[in-house]
Parts: sequence; C-alpha cells; structure tokens
Amino acid sequence: MKPFLSLILFFTSLAAADLNIPFEKYTLPNGLRVILSPDNTAPVVTVYVIYGVGARSEEKGRTGFAHLFEHMMFQGSAHAPKGTHFQAIESNGGTLNGSTHPDYTDYFEILPANKLAVALWLESDRMRSLAITKENLDNQTEAVKQERRLSFDNQPYATAVSDVFPALAYKNWSSAHSIIGSFEDLNAAGVNDVSRFFRTHYAPNNAVLSIAGDIRKEEVRKLIEAYFGDIPRQERAKSPDLTEPERKNAEWQTYKDPLARVPLVMIAYPGPKRRSPDYYAITMLDVVFTTGDSSRLYQSMVKEKKSALAVEGQLGGPFGGVTDYKDPGLYTFNLTYNPSLQARQVVEQFEQEIARMQTQPPSAKEMERARATMRSFRVRSLQSTMTRAQLLAQYELLDGKPELLNSELEQFLAVTPRQIQEAAKKYLVKSKQCALEIIPAAPAEAKQ
Amino acid sequence: MKSFLAILFLASALKAQTVDRTKMPDTAPLAPFKLPVIRESKLPNGLTVLLVRDNRIPLVTFRLLFAGGGRLDPASQPGLAETVASLLKEGTAKRSSRQFAEDLAAIGGSLDADSGTDALSVFGTVLSEYTSQFLDLSADVVRNALFPQDEIDLRKENRVQELALQRSQSATLADEKLHRVIFGNHPYARTLPTPQSIGSIERKDLIAYRDRYLTPGNAVLVLVGDLVSEPVLLSWIRAGFGSWPQKPVPPLPGGSLPKPARSITLIDRPGSAQIDIHLGRHTVKRLDPDYFPLVVASTILGGGASSRLFVNIREKQGYAYDASAHHMGYRDTSLFNVSTQVRDEVLEPALHALSAELDRMGKEPVSAQELSNMKNYLNGVFVLGLASQDGVASQLAALKTNGIPNSYLEQYVTKIRSVEPDQIQRTAAKYFSRDSNAVVIVGDASKIQKTVEKFGKVTVEKAN
Repeated sequence: MKPFLSLILFFTSLAAADLNIPFEKYTLPNGLRVILSPDNTAPVVTVYVIYGVGARSEEKGRTGFAHLFEHMMFQGSAHAPKGTHFQAIESNGGTLNGSTHPDYTDYFEILPANKLAVALWLESDRMRSLAITKENLDNQTEAVKQERRLSFDNQPYATAVSDVFPALAYKNWSSAHSIIGSFEDLNAAGVNDVSRFFRTHYAPNNAVLSIAGDIRKEEVRKLIEAYFGDIPRQERAKSPDLTEPERKNAEWQTYKDPLARVPLVMIAYPGPKRRSPDYYAITMLDVVFTTGDSSRLYQSMVKEKKSALAVEGQLGGPFGGVTDYKDPGLYTFNLTYNPSLQARQVVEQFEQEIARMQTQPPSAKEMERARATMRSFRVRSLQSTMTRAQLLAQYELLDGKPELLNSELEQFLAVTPRQIQEAAKKYLVKSKQCALEIIPAAPAEAKQ
Repeated sequence: MKSFLAILFLASALKAQTVDRTKMPDTAPLAPFKLPVIRESKLPNGLTVLLVRDNRIPLVTFRLLFAGGGRLDPASQPGLAETVASLLKEGTAKRSSRQFAEDLAAIGGSLDADSGTDALSVFGTVLSEYTSQFLDLSADVVRNALFPQDEIDLRKENRVQELALQRSQSATLADEKLHRVIFGNHPYARTLPTPQSIGSIERKDLIAYRDRYLTPGNAVLVLVGDLVSEPVLLSWIRAGFGSWPQKPVPPLPGGSLPKPARSITLIDRPGSAQIDIHLGRHTVKRLDPDYFPLVVASTILGGGASSRLFVNIREKQGYAYDASAHHMGYRDTSLFNVSTQVRDEVLEPALHALSAELDRMGKEPVSAQELSNMKNYLNGVFVLGLASQDGVASQLAALKTNGIPNSYLEQYVTKIRSVEPDQIQRTAAKYFSRDSNAVVIVGDASKIQKTVEKFGKVTVEKAN
C-alpha cells in the first residue's frame, strides 16, 4: 500500500513533467556506443541494437538491400549456425524481431532478465561473423519476394504507399525509391555485394547497443566488453546525400488500386529540421489537428461534414513517426473518405482547416488538451523496457543525445499557440503540398 | 518481484563465469512466476471489482468487461454489439459526443470500446492523478449512453465502408469463412457483420442491448496501476458505479457446436497475388485436461519462429513468408487454427508440407529438447505479457468474465511445464487429424482450382 506522503511527492514531480529514466552511455574502443538503463521492477530485459543504415543508404541498382540484409541477419553466424537465433531466444522464453526503416535498421530481443547473456552472445556473433553464403542469400531473396507479395502486392494501398508515394513526394532518388526494393535488383544481388554492404554498414562504429530492464550495470559492462570488445571497427560509409530541392509547386497524382475498396488521399508537406523549434511546434500542431476524437480534423471532417471516415496525421510518415523523423522528411496525412465525394472536395475541406489554423492560434483549452495528451502518451510508452531501449538508442543514433528522452517532453509542453500558428503558415502551404489520390479500380475480373 | 538475495546470487554467478564466445552461454533457469496481489470485491449491485497495484509509472489502466459481446447479437443482426460499443462515447445523458472527447483529452485519457467473441470491453488508460475524473467519464458512457440518431446514421454509413475495406483483404475472407464452417449455427460463426445487418440496426435495438446486457451484475471492472489507497479508490468507484441499478443477469445463448469434419472451400478472388490457406476446428474448453497439451502441441507446430511450420515452410522451403498455428480459448470451446500465405506455383507442395507436419505431430513423440524449448518459450512469453499493465488487466478481465478463477494465471506456468510427450502425441492425433479439420483457401480460382481439387472435394465460392 502506498503511504500518503509519497503520493504527494509523486504528484509534485509529475506536475513538473519530470519522468526521469536513468541511463548511462559509453563508447567501446571499437566505436560501439552502449546505453544501459536499469529498471529492477520487473524481471525483464530488452536488448536493442540499431545500425545506421536504412533504405535511404541504398545505391541505384541495389534497392531492397537494407531489407534483404535484415533477413540475412537471422541466417546464422560463425558460432550460431542457421536456425540458432530464433531457437536460442525462444527456448529461453524470449521474443525477437528486426525491422528496416528509411534511416536505420534495428534488432531486438526481449527476455527474462537472467537470460540477458544469450542475446549478447547472438548479437555480437552476427556483428562479428555473419554467414553470408550463396544458399542463405538465395533463400532469403525468395523470402523477401514472398513478403513483398504478401505485405505489399496483395494488400490494398500498400503498393501506392511504398512505391508510388515516395516517388511523388521526393525528388532525390535516395528518398524517392521503393523501401522494399525491386525484384530485379534483389535477383541481381551477389554474395560479394552483400559482403561489402555488411562490412561497411554492420560495423560496431555504425551501431548503438541499448539495454533496458532488470540489469546490474557492472556485470553487464563486463559481458559487453567480453562479447563485443574486439569486433574490429570499419571505415565508415559515406553518408548518402539526401539534399532535397525545395518544392515550388503543388503536385497531384491519381493511382488506381485494384485491391482497394474505399478511396484514400495521402497529403504531404516537407517537414522541419529535426529538433528545431519548428519540429516541436509541428508535433504539437499535429496533436491539436489530428490526435483523438476532440481534434480539429476529426471533429470537422469525420463528425460535422461526414466526408472522411478516418483522419491520420504523422510527422515522419508514412514509414516512421515523430521519434525517428529525420529531415528531409514529411508531415503526412491520410484521409479515407466517403466514396460519394471526389478527392479534390475532401482536400478542399482539409485546406479550410489549415487556413483556420493559420489565421487563429489554438485556444487555451485546446492547448491544455494537447499537453495532457502528450504527457499521457509519453508515460504510457515508457512502461515497456522495449520502448525505453529503443528511444534511447534512436536518440543516440539520430541526435547523439539519448538524454532527450528525459528532457524533450518539456520542449513539447513549452510550445505556444502562436508558434503553432506560425508553423502552420510556414509549412502547410499549398505550393509545397503533394497529394496522392488512391481510388478503387475495377476488380481484375471486370477487365477480363 | 525479484528479491535482493536473488540479485546477489545472479551477480556472483556471473563473476565466476568466463565467457566462451563459441557457444551459447549457460544461464540460470527461468524464475517462477508470481502473480501480483489481486484485491477482489463486489459492490452491492453485483459489479465485480479487481484491483492490482503497479506503481512503476504514474498511469492507471482500466478495463470493464460485459459478458456476452457479439454472441448476444440476434442471428439476423450480427454487428449489434459492436455498434453499441462504437457508439458509447457518442453522446450520453450528461455530455455530448464532443464534450466527452474534450473532457477525456483534458485529462490525457484514452477510452475505447469493442465487442469480441465473448465480451464487450470498455478499456483505456489515464495519468494516475486523474483517476477519479476518469472513473466518472467511464461510468457515464456505460450507464448513460444515449445513441443519438445522427451518430447512429454516421456510424452505420462508415461501418459499411470499413467492411468493404476489411473484405478487401484476403486473410479476412479466409478467417470469416473458416469460422462459419467450423462453428455452424453457434454464435461464434459470425466474425463480421454484413452491410444488410448493419443497415437493419435501429436505435431501439441499441437501447435494448444496453438495458439488458450493460448491467453491473454482468460486468467485471479491473484497475491496474498507480492506485491511491483502497478505501479512497473504492469510494470513487462507488461514486461512479454504486447507484447503477442491479438487474437480473440474462443467460448466454449457446447453440450446439457442429461435429468437426473435413471440408475444403475455395474462395475465388480473381487477380489475387497470392493464396491464403487457413484450416482448423474447435477443440475443448479451457478447463478440459486436453487444453494444455493442445496449447503446447499447437506451439510446437506453429507458434513462434522456431516452430515446425515456420522452420520448414518458411525457412527451409521458402514457400511462405509466414506459417503459424494457434490455439485460442473461447468460453464454450477453443479454436485450433493454422494459417499461411503462399504463391500460386508452390500451392501443391505447400499443402503437402502442411499436411505432413500436422500428421507428424500425431505420429511421433516430440523430443525432450524440443518440448523443453517450447515450454520455456510459452512460459517466457506469458510472463513478458504480464509485465505491462494492459497485459495484466486484459488477462484478468477475460478470465473473470468467462468464469475462470484468478489462480489460473498463477498455475499457467506449472500446467505448461507438466505436459508430457505422450499427451501431445495423443491430442495431436485426435485434434490435428485431416479428417476433422476444415480448410479454406482464398485465391484466384482460374489458376489454382485444379490443384486444390487434388486434395479432395472442393466447394467454390465467389469472394464478395
């Protein structure tokens, strides 16, 4: 039972928006950055490894490599042969996965705390000695193709979002190409290409190892030194030039989707610089605009005009979110809408709401709700060791400042209504807009 | 919660160890699972209250479950319960829809409702400093929802669009059909409403459902999180829910379950880029002695990335991106089902491989190593699931609503550990056999019908 006194203390600290997640950060001589965040309240630990390589690091003719590589990372290494990874984690009561993003690729294991060493053994063995063989490569090329058929080619909207939309929203090829890649490039991938990709990008000096949960720091430091300490550092790959020319004119494209049954319009504007004052302002603007049933777009388009079925906004969309947003990036909206309307009408209504935001800052009540929503999101997400490890690692990789996990909430809460209004005027401008209208095409049988 | 002594022990064990990087490190066995303290009480009107303290973060997780859910829908009106759930927040005797949304956002709360196979759930979270306001809001929706006509009209119109969206996914079609075949006339057969059934719902139907089933005696309230002292918390709960009038608890409509039998249905989806294969049957209730052997057997077959289906169908053969098996406990029975998605060219070998894995479970005993690995996996995942507030709240609420004692959670790990190879082989032979499982395949019939017919008599239906 909680004593009364601590309750009062607690309220005081919460009012100051002070959720302090303890952590320490250090770097091994080989360049591997390590973050340890102990939390001994539940016997669970998350090991999260993030590499600074993603789809935007790919070269022409090599699309899909970042994702293919994520698959290869589960195909065995010098001392953990094929099949070992899944089995070692699961037979010790854990779960695991990996995923590919535009700017990074990540891997994690969540385990009962006393099984931590198993994850360190596996992550270090594949960082040191991944088994890049012809057989593994062919097998995973097939698996990736099958994933494409399943998750993209056979799903409504997916092809439009992953292939068509980036090409519309970006001019720079690095950002504009398909995140999952083409079958032609995957077929052309040879063992040598893959080996080179591994050496440059999967090096300790291009990675962050983040561990959160029920750990004893001194012991974990020793284990990390023993497992990762002598993995050789590599020459860093040149960062891709992501420079995006300024958008001068609005663009509109229509895509007919044979699998879709309900029309959807995606709208995007180039977003602000990460961690700039505008980054915080746009995020709060988005809360006022699209988060929850009291948000402006929901009330106006779903409830009053009944033109949209659902509205979503995302700084960092369509493949990420505000925490892993990296400029040049987008502030995106998805609106599924009533099929009796035209996309142009829906976008017009959407723009009326933008105009309202540009002429009139959010009210005090709206700001109060947006701040409470922001605080609540943060508190909720931090209950899992996975989110803690993940955000600490992402902030190290993208900002070099994991401490932002503890300090950024204050910056979000400090955004003023005026800043939101100014951000709307600066970023949500018609000439910078692009829109992709995805409309249901006649089913395939009608064409035959 | 780990004791201080255990931490010291772990530390010294590690110090003595020298790291051999060539093999998997030895680690201590999984610690036994200890359920957090559950404080259970009942209000005079029959509302069951479960409280679990978790002070790690300033958050409270809320769940209020009403027994019945979708199974209480009239046979002609599937979708009634989900419509009730989706309209609870859209206007009450005290607050308009918009007022409710604003009041909820002002305390950083989230509150939603949905209706599943056996229960209608209202669930959410709130910063713990606002617990009393949140309880007031949640009591308002379940007691005073008014279902304004314009909200009903909007919901119905949008739901028909959402249905079209859902039915555009081939896995949804397969799942829907499989439930119909397996459950026949039992309410579990209905997974999705139809545009017609949604169209037929009127305000009086929603009010009748509310008045009959959203009653305190039919409900379980679970709060997990950073809770204030019990007397204070209970006084808030009574303020919100205490004067909610008691009503007789209506019986749950049952319906008999059809005898599991072999059948093959092909749903024709022209232009499909790949094929969804789902198969399954109903099995036994959660307290049946075959239940835990079935959980373990299904996991060995297709749970997680070291299961036989995943390793053989995806990793070795590359037929599919995923292949999995599940065994899910419902109130009246459980559902065993297997699902995978393959491309047209490999349909035949993939179906053979699937059958072979199902047969092998009943023909050969599992090795001690495979069994022990899978038990660790099941128990580890179970414990990880209970590390979050929502994990604890949803498990407890679902068990209580289905009349399963809280101790089930604490016994889970032990029950899994005690399953033996011969029990697995026997239950697999009985429940995984091909003559008792229904198969549903969704794909382009013009390309695959001949192949499917090699496996038996096929009923072909059009995808709608």
